[in-house]
Amino acid sequence: MRALVIEDDAALRAQVTKILEDEGYAVDVAADGEQGLYMAEEYPIDIAIIDLGLPKTSGIEIIRKARKGGRSFPVLILTARDGWQSKVEGLEAGADDYLVKPFHKEELLARTRALLRRSGGWSQATLKSGPISLDTTAKSVSVSEKNVDLTSFEYRVLEYLLTHAGKVISKTELTEHLYTEDEERDSNVIEVFIKRLRSKLDPDSTLSPITTLRGQGYRWDLPRE
Amino acid sequence: MTSLRARQLFAASLVLTAFIALCGAGLEQAFNSSALQAEEDKLQGLAYALLGAAEANDNGDLGIPETRLPDPRLASPQSGLQAAIVNDRGGLIWGSPSLADDWPLTLAPQEVGTWRFQEQGDWFSLTFGLRWLDRADAPRRYTLLIIENNTAFKAQLKTYRRTLWGWLGGAALGLLAVQLLVLRWSLTPLRKLTKELHNIETDQQGNIEATYPSELTPLTDALNSMIQSERNQQTRYRNALGDLAHSLKTPLAVLHGVTDEDVKDANLRGKLREPLSRIQAITDYQLRKAATAGRRTLSGPVAMRPLAEKISGALQKVYADKNIKFSINIEPSLRVRADEGDLYELLGNLLDNAAKWCKSRVQISANLSRRNVELIIDDDGPGFPENAENLLQRGVRADNQTPGQGIGLAAVNDLIGVYDGKIELQRGPLGGGRVLIQFQA
Repeated sequence: MRALVIEDDAALRAQVTKILEDEGYAVDVAADGEQGLYMAEEYPIDIAIIDLGLPKTSGIEIIRKARKGGRSFPVLILTARDGWQSKVEGLEAGADDYLVKPFHKEELLARTRALLRRSGGWSQATLKSGPISLDTTAKSVSVSEKNVDLTSFEYRVLEYLLTHAGKVISKTELTEHLYTEDEERDSNVIEVFIKRLRSKLDPDSTLSPITTLRGQGYRWDLPRE
Repeated sequence: MTSLRARQLFAASLVLTAFIALCGAGLEQAFNSSALQAEEDKLQGLAYALLGAAEANDNGDLGIPETRLPDPRLASPQSGLQAAIVNDRGGLIWGSPSLADDWPLTLAPQEVGTWRFQEQGDWFSLTFGLRWLDRADAPRRYTLLIIENNTAFKAQLKTYRRTLWGWLGGAALGLLAVQLLVLRWSLTPLRKLTKELHNIETDQQGNIEATYPSELTPLTDALNSMIQSERNQQTRYRNALGDLAHSLKTPLAVLHGVTDEDVKDANLRGKLREPLSRIQAITDYQLRKAATAGRRTLSGPVAMRPLAEKISGALQKVYADKNIKFSINIEPSLRVRADEGDLYELLGNLLDNAAKWCKSRVQISANLSRRNVELIIDDDGPGFPENAENLLQRGVRADNQTPGQGIGLAAVNDLIGVYDGKIELQRGPLGGGRVLIQFQA
């Protein structure tokens, strides 16, 4: 999953970025509203975490413009002005949730996770599809109640596919959503990870959870529960 | 006496009444004495005429032959005019034919050459002492007495009095009416000003616009600049507080993040956490308290329903997983004279709290009777714990899991205190908690 963090305070920006990166997100950062708005409009992000009190372009302005431009990723606003007027204003502009400064790491992660799975149409913290279940909180995966050991990157690929279960996901899309602009990408790596996932989740080739559509990409094909 | 109008009217009528009364009494007095003087003069004239007609009779005493009586009334009994001549021993020596048997006076002899005029009961009497030389040129002393009934005089006086007071009363009423009109006219600017202020309060106009008499201009100018500065100041104040909150809380968030980092020494983390949460609680509380505007004098009332709709719409997003159904029973016409920011805080905190704890339903109703606002928020959650009142105290939170957001009820309690209101936590009809708020606005 790719997250955009727009926060003008350098220390807090670094902190939030670290929290998200530790959790396995690819994180893009912007220090002011102008840069943030550009990223929100142009980058293939899955979630944006936006401070409301930004220099140049305000957080609310960014949300409004991004929404107007058709961007539908979930938005979590960070606000120090804990007045309800500003919260309501932010939510009305198109944000999906708010977090009042200061906050705990767990709180930030819980809200980010909840917004992401909601955007994929999941209402529970554990995504269940056939015998496979992925616990977004514990970051664990099991098949028929048996734990499966996945590397961090394997988990990220699976989480993305499962969150968007039923949708065709191209290799480019997967790359874009798992790496930031600055990271080196190799779309061939994706094929390797898909192969490994298949063998770990479906060693006997009885489930076929991931379908390859030639020239288009991959699709999670087990029904959602 | 609280109204200018009443004061003016009271003073004017008091002065007018006193003036009219004194004036009437003076006029009446003057008329009375001049009428009495005229009566005396008339009787004196009659006395001279009688004396002129007097001649000695056979006994050598004074007498007036009936044919020479100067006034025909003296000749007819019951005419009300009588005359008599009494000698120095008090004996009647002559009486007009009109003189009644019970003529009312027993006289002391009058000094020669002097007059005495008096009013006694129904009568005026005039006595005159005289000396008469009889045929032997011997002086004899007599007293001439004329008595006239004063009924006609009294009637005349009464008519005069009636006419006088009638006119004076009429004049007084007329003057009062004029005074009333003058008052109305001169108080018109004040009434206009009151109306403009009312319009400002109800948001129908921004400031005082009409032109006022020069005496009021300093006042209206001052009011205008006060309204303006109050508005600006409130906005500036809020913005400044927002900036302060932002610049305080961002570093606080960083510090918080530091205590969350796993790599840090656990001992140090523990030491940092406690003072940090204290700083946070104090900052929250003070900023909130400072942001509370309280009752506003010159701002318009705020409609409650759109506010409740906005906030519940926003909360529906935040608690999307619960798919909460908010029912709002607030008349669209219900407007509360309170600061909009305060109402946002009040409804925001209450609805957020209800949304956090409910299963799927939250109900909001509000009533306004006179200036008493009653606000009820119900949810279908687990209800409040037993020592629920503690939740209203600063520093105690209903949930410790979400720091920075569990301050709702205490915040509401503080805010309601500014409006001299009260808050009650009860069990509601939906099975969950009910918050009842009452305040004056």
